[in-house]
Amino acid sequence: MADVAAHQEGAGHLPAGLREKVAQHGGEYALERPLRVLTETADFFEVVPYDIMLLAGRYYLIRGHEYEGRFGLEETPKYWVKRAVDLETGERKILKFVFHESFTDKLGAVTIRYVRSPEKEARVLDLVRGHPYFMQGFAVIDPGGNNVRVLDRIPGKPLDHVIEGLALGHEEYFHTRLPDFLSALVPVFEAIGFLHAAGEKHGDIRRDHILVEHATGTYKWIDFDLDYFQPEHPYGVDIFGLGNVLLYVAGMGIHTISDLYHERPEVFERLREEDTSPVLRHRVCNLRKIFPYLPVELNNILLHFSMGADVFYDSVDELLYDLRDYLAR
Amino acid sequence: MVETILLAMDESENALRAARYVGRIVGGSRKSFEVTLAYVLVRPSPDLFEEPEGAKKYEQEARAKMEAVFAQAAAVLQEAGLSAENIRTRFIVTDEPGIAQGLLAEQKAGRYGTLVVGRRGVTKAEEFLFGSVSNKIIHHAKDCAVWVVE
Repeated sequence: MADVAAHQEGAGHLPAGLREKVAQHGGEYALERPLRVLTETADFFEVVPYDIMLLAGRYYLIRGHEYEGRFGLEETPKYWVKRAVDLETGERKILKFVFHESFTDKLGAVTIRYVRSPEKEARVLDLVRGHPYFMQGFAVIDPGGNNVRVLDRIPGKPLDHVIEGLALGHEEYFHTRLPDFLSALVPVFEAIGFLHAAGEKHGDIRRDHILVEHATGTYKWIDFDLDYFQPEHPYGVDIFGLGNVLLYVAGMGIHTISDLYHERPEVFERLREEDTSPVLRHRVCNLRKIFPYLPVELNNILLHFSMGADVFYDSVDELLYDLRDYLAR
Repeated sequence: MVETILLAMDESENALRAARYVGRIVGGSRKSFEVTLAYVLVRPSPDLFEEPEGAKKYEQEARAKMEAVFAQAAAVLQEAGLSAENIRTRFIVTDEPGIAQGLLAEQKAGRYGTLVVGRRGVTKAEEFLFGSVSNKIIHHAKDCAVWVVE
């Protein structure tokens, strides 16, 4: 059981005005149980909705925990990631508690060993403070020595949801929306280059880890607590992730061999092994075979992520060089 | 004048193959060659280990393994005719972003005339994700000869 802090209703010592703030941000329902103020975060299962976390002198009301889906699979709860409200300002926050795990995951036939590291995320948060294309936050060490990240919740939608929500066919998308999406990706990819130049990785680049902020339309990276170690090509997995984002945006979705077999057999017949991803063999990278109006110059960028490539992008800068060149035409 | 060769080593069979090749080429030569067997360890972030001394243990284990590999490669070179005093070893712990960059930095610092690296067979997926040290060296090496041994 997490150590309960000194403060608990009935035992006195609750700061003046705390009940009112809880009611203001959590509703009267939040007052139907004794208020519980916690300072230690080691046992995140014990921290439940309407608990109050006291971190670095600020009070946060817990509203629940986050979920994460894995493309088409049911969302799984992330009990170590709590939704919260800063009781002073009313700002929505995310509190990430310590959860060390290491696991292997397969990218196609290749196994990558990942580590979830609060320390890495805290370091990256410091590095990107004030950077417009990253989620913002800071780390607090609780009395038990646990690294808790307090993150600003970004009101926005994942990039893939934005694109999926467009009621357009691909050709109309290509002419009317794709140029803007590609232009918006340039600073977002540059942001990853910024991490790499500082010796850090994102670690989990996915199209749903780019949030499009409602108010500004700015794209922001989230969720950078994963790390992997690959001394031969430290940023290769990140670059692979950027390629997947680019392919998704250019294609207005993912296009697989199986989809084409069923829906566009005339295209399927023209596909060759070199048109697919070397890592995710079912994914088509040569999008010009599906969308013949896609410019060769753009398609050539995508083909750098295909089996047919003689040379892969070694760095974000190389990818950006070609992308900027294409956009400047 | 001594010709200096930096021979990249790791535990793989193709690194030993590269050592055998170097031995064949320079072993019986009348020219004077000095071969440095080099292993590059990219310093891992402590985040990657659950125990506090994980990174140190990782380095110690690598050193122990490479001691044996260096001894084996040195024996191969001596068998080919290179004298022991012309064989050196370097265990390099680097903060460079990758093994290739570590080797290139060592080549530059030591002004080696030749950089030798073995190329292992990798799948396209592995090459994409993990890169190819030999490809990076071919692209970025300056002021030296590069031998890639398959």
